[in-house]
Amino acid sequence: MPNILIVDDSSTMRKIISRSLRQAGLAVDEIFEAGDGIEGLNVLGGNSVDLILSDINMPNMDGLEFIKQVRANGKTVPIVMITTEGGEDILKEAIASGASDSIKKPFTPDQLGQKLGGLL
Amino acid sequence: MTLNEAVIESVHLTEAEMAKYVIDATKEVFSTMVMMNVDDSFPLREPVTKFSCSITGMVGLVGTYSGVLSIHCPRPLALKITSNMLGMEVEEAGEAEEDVNDALGEIANMLGGQVKMVLSKGGMDMNISIPTIISGEEYTINSMAESDCVIIPFDTGEEKFLVSLKLKKE
Repeated sequence: MPNILIVDDSSTMRKIISRSLRQAGLAVDEIFEAGDGIEGLNVLGGNSVDLILSDINMPNMDGLEFIKQVRANGKTVPIVMITTEGGEDILKEAIASGASDSIKKPFTPDQLGQKLGGLL
Repeated sequence: MTLNEAVIESVHLTEAEMAKYVIDATKEVFSTMVMMNVDDSFPLREPVTKFSCSITGMVGLVGTYSGVLSIHCPRPLALKITSNMLGMEVEEAGEAEEDVNDALGEIANMLGGQVKMVLSKGGMDMNISIPTIISGEEYTINSMAESDCVIIPFDTGEEKFLVSLKLKKE
């Protein structure tokens, strides 16, 4: 079963995403959490991760910079942006930086499941 | 008390339409993330600056338009919101101040994001700040331009809370 990394500065949102993954019926082995891009890179350095769910607006290192760093490190793991920042230009930049897809907050477990089902 | 006229002209929306976006966003966030249905009332005519036993979550908007999106909740409702969002008991939430602050901050963040979507063409001309939380037995929030604001009361059936949006065009 796949391991998932959730990168979001809100601990509430990390818990909601974790719960939604289970409620959506997605088979997941381990869920790693990180509070910003820097922590996310540290987790990626020491663990096997099959999918990353990342916020964009975070302190220290935001989601766009995080994607760039992940790709610069040669990682091809799918990255889905989960964000309130649903503007077209931001999402275009996220995709150009290496994001695979995006989902807007707020979301339901079903919406999350449908979005991730094809990536796991 | 109304939204800044320059904002209304620039976004080509009436104040009622702008308020409707805030109302719809609040209802969507509460129904999907808090598992709570809320009803809105008519926007307030006078600003609310003094709060008792409450928690305020706010995010700043900066760019083409600047301002603040705030949610003001009585503490018991903030605990209920946190317990619903995190799947914990209300008593448990009462002992986890950090979780309560984080939950209210995330709601402000989601609402600010929805407002940004209405105001920003592609998303790159505006930024949202990291959420700020204010809480206490008695506190006052003042602004230099108290009139350029829309404040919408909501009712959960047991408690009331306010969502306010203050905006100006840069």
